[in-house]
Amino acid sequence: MIIGDIDMKLLKIENNQGYFLAANEEFTSIDKITKEDLLRLVDITLTQEVEFDEYDSKSVANQAHQVLYKNIYEKLKGLKERKKEFTDECERLYLQEYEKYRE
Amino acid sequence: MKKIDFHIHTIQTVYDTPFTFALNVLERYVFEASLDAIAVTNHNIFDRDQFATITAAVNAVTFPGIEVTLDCGHLLIIADDAHLELFEEQARKVNERITKRENSITIDELNEIFDNLAEYLVIPHYEKKPAIKGSTLESIKQYVSCGEVDSPKKFIRSIKGSAGVTPVLFSDVRICEELASLPTRQTFVDCGDLTLGALKTCLSDKRKVFLSEKGGNSFFQVFNNGQMLSTGLNILLGERSTGKTFTLDRINELHEHVKYIKQFSLVQQDEASYEREFSRNLQRTRSQYIEEYLSGLKVVLNDVMNVDLRADEQEVEKYVSSLLESAEEAQRSDAFSNTALFGESLFPVRDDKVLSDLISSVRQMIENVEYREIIDKYVDIHSLKQLAVELIELLWAKKLENKKKQLVNGLINDIKESLKRKTSAVQVQDVDLYQVMLNKKKIAKFSAIVKLLQENATISEESIQGFRIIATKAPFSGAGELKDTSGVKTAFRDAFKEYEDPYAYLQALLANDELTPSELYKLFVKITYRIVNRDGFEVSGGERSEFRLLQEIKDAQNYDILLIDEPESSFDNIFLRSDVNQIIREISETMPVVVVTHNSTVGASIGADYLLYARKTIEGDEVVYRLFSGHPTDLVLHSIGGMTISNHDITLNSLEAGADTYDYRRHRYEAIKDRK
Repeated sequence: MIIGDIDMKLLKIENNQGYFLAANEEFTSIDKITKEDLLRLVDITLTQEVEFDEYDSKSVANQAHQVLYKNIYEKLKGLKERKKEFTDECERLYLQEYEKYRE
Repeated sequence: MKKIDFHIHTIQTVYDTPFTFALNVLERYVFEASLDAIAVTNHNIFDRDQFATITAAVNAVTFPGIEVTLDCGHLLIIADDAHLELFEEQARKVNERITKRENSITIDELNEIFDNLAEYLVIPHYEKKPAIKGSTLESIKQYVSCGEVDSPKKFIRSIKGSAGVTPVLFSDVRICEELASLPTRQTFVDCGDLTLGALKTCLSDKRKVFLSEKGGNSFFQVFNNGQMLSTGLNILLGERSTGKTFTLDRINELHEHVKYIKQFSLVQQDEASYEREFSRNLQRTRSQYIEEYLSGLKVVLNDVMNVDLRADEQEVEKYVSSLLESAEEAQRSDAFSNTALFGESLFPVRDDKVLSDLISSVRQMIENVEYREIIDKYVDIHSLKQLAVELIELLWAKKLENKKKQLVNGLINDIKESLKRKTSAVQVQDVDLYQVMLNKKKIAKFSAIVKLLQENATISEESIQGFRIIATKAPFSGAGELKDTSGVKTAFRDAFKEYEDPYAYLQALLANDELTPSELYKLFVKITYRIVNRDGFEVSGGERSEFRLLQEIKDAQNYDILLIDEPESSFDNIFLRSDVNQIIREISETMPVVVVTHNSTVGASIGADYLLYARKTIEGDEVVYRLFSGHPTDLVLHSIGGMTISNHDITLNSLEAGADTYDYRRHRYEAIKDRK
């Protein structure tokens, strides 16, 4: 979801709690995240313009949230940096073979 | 003209099937074949005593020789009998080095043993296995007078070629009592005195070697009684049961690499089984095309087979659950689990395939010769080189970075392991989410490719001798078809249920241990061939036979001699005249062909080089089969025993059911001509 030129925010910190953008487009407490949610976030990160609230241990009070937010934030941030590489690699994936059989 | 055979075995070695030398057979061979000179050439051995016995017994000049097993092929070395002692010593050295079948000697060792090879007659296997070729042949070329071939076809081909050494055709026979038939492979050489020096000079001159005594290289000996055949097109006529098929059978027995198209072998029998066999044959001969067409899918499959989406999902699940668990226990953390490295994830380390591909593309543009001009028109080669250098430097930097990351990853793993042993806190199970997503994309692309492949379409159309072979692709329609295509006796019913979903189908195939993973690419799309005739219709039974005959004749190019028994058995005259005659004629320009026929369209119109006539007579109590032969324009044909027969009579009898019938028919044709 891109509103105007604003990048979609996937992770945010509010009231000393960590949140992620759930499938219903609502921010949900990060301790409710499932593997399906995570894969969806990964997919969006690799294919769209996204942003996350930067992790800072002081802004997240709950220790459980700290662990979750930090871990997921770092993972998604790492993927965001590799978005170009991923796009390139996907585009070239079996391209020759695909073209051959499309003729 | 002298007749020679310089490749004769008289001692059984590890290279031979068991045999016991019989001197009387050698004497008979030399006598019956009228040989002027022979050479005794056993594998890596020379027996001086046996050689003396042979020399004393046979009525031909006899040379001592040896067939040496080199690491690159076989080589005959023939010596002057004046230096027997030296040759015996040299042969002993060869023998010492080759005691087992797997032993061989190098060219350097050969030079060392024989000191000066220029003093010998050196004959490598040339168009004969195991042949000495290429640079090895080049390295000994100065000593080589001629090269051995194993068929008249190869002899003619070598004689006609401007390059290459002079061919010689020898028997390579094992002389023993059990010898079914005396050899027919010898060479005629235009040479006066039979000395080693004179022979070396003559054998190195292509104009001085021949397949026959009188007919030069237009004829070769087919039977040991001296019966000759043309090296081009021979027609064999004769009434029923006069030994024509028997003659072809004998040629087939006595010669190697024979393509024999037997009578009625192409005629349609049972429609259903014939059709099955026909498509199987077609499928087999086209298999190379299928391989090529499916090569892309093969590449994709090889990669996709390593993707396990379920395992990926499990890893993600483990990551999430361990992360949640670790978050829940965050309060209970201790000094060990509190360390940053305890929860640290590993660096992703992956080879940058995109960059590697890009570098090879740039390299191709720099190195391409064929399209140099066009490339240069648009891109400056200097810039390309700079680009390549920069990309390569980047690749090096990335590789170095990866190395470092690998090192750090190893370290992190070790530390995490140690920390884990000291604490009860849950450690987060790491996962490479990039790879997980890439795997998903791979499967999506793979499924798209398979779906494309399974669309009904014609993928190639090829014209062969007036017929069109059309290859089409379509999805498999059932488990039975999969079984037929795989050739494996296993059940495909469960796998086929998943056929609509390429990934699930692949998993089902992979789960079947009976199937070889590298062969699975054949089981995604059905490729079938059908043949249509000139008018674009499905071929009839008769046309199928025609197609097969033409294919079989074409296939003969891979053999040394072609025998066809009554091609008219199942074809009409128009087809015979327009297609068969032409293709037989063409092929006879490169190899000996013998056609047995009763048909005037074949027999009289094909333009044979040599005519043979088979006749059966009863002489006393004995049935005698005899062959007469001559040029098609000769008035009389001759038998080996000196008998003659009228060419006109036998031609009319064989092809036109006799002169009277021919006259009657001719009159009938004239009577109905122009009666309007």
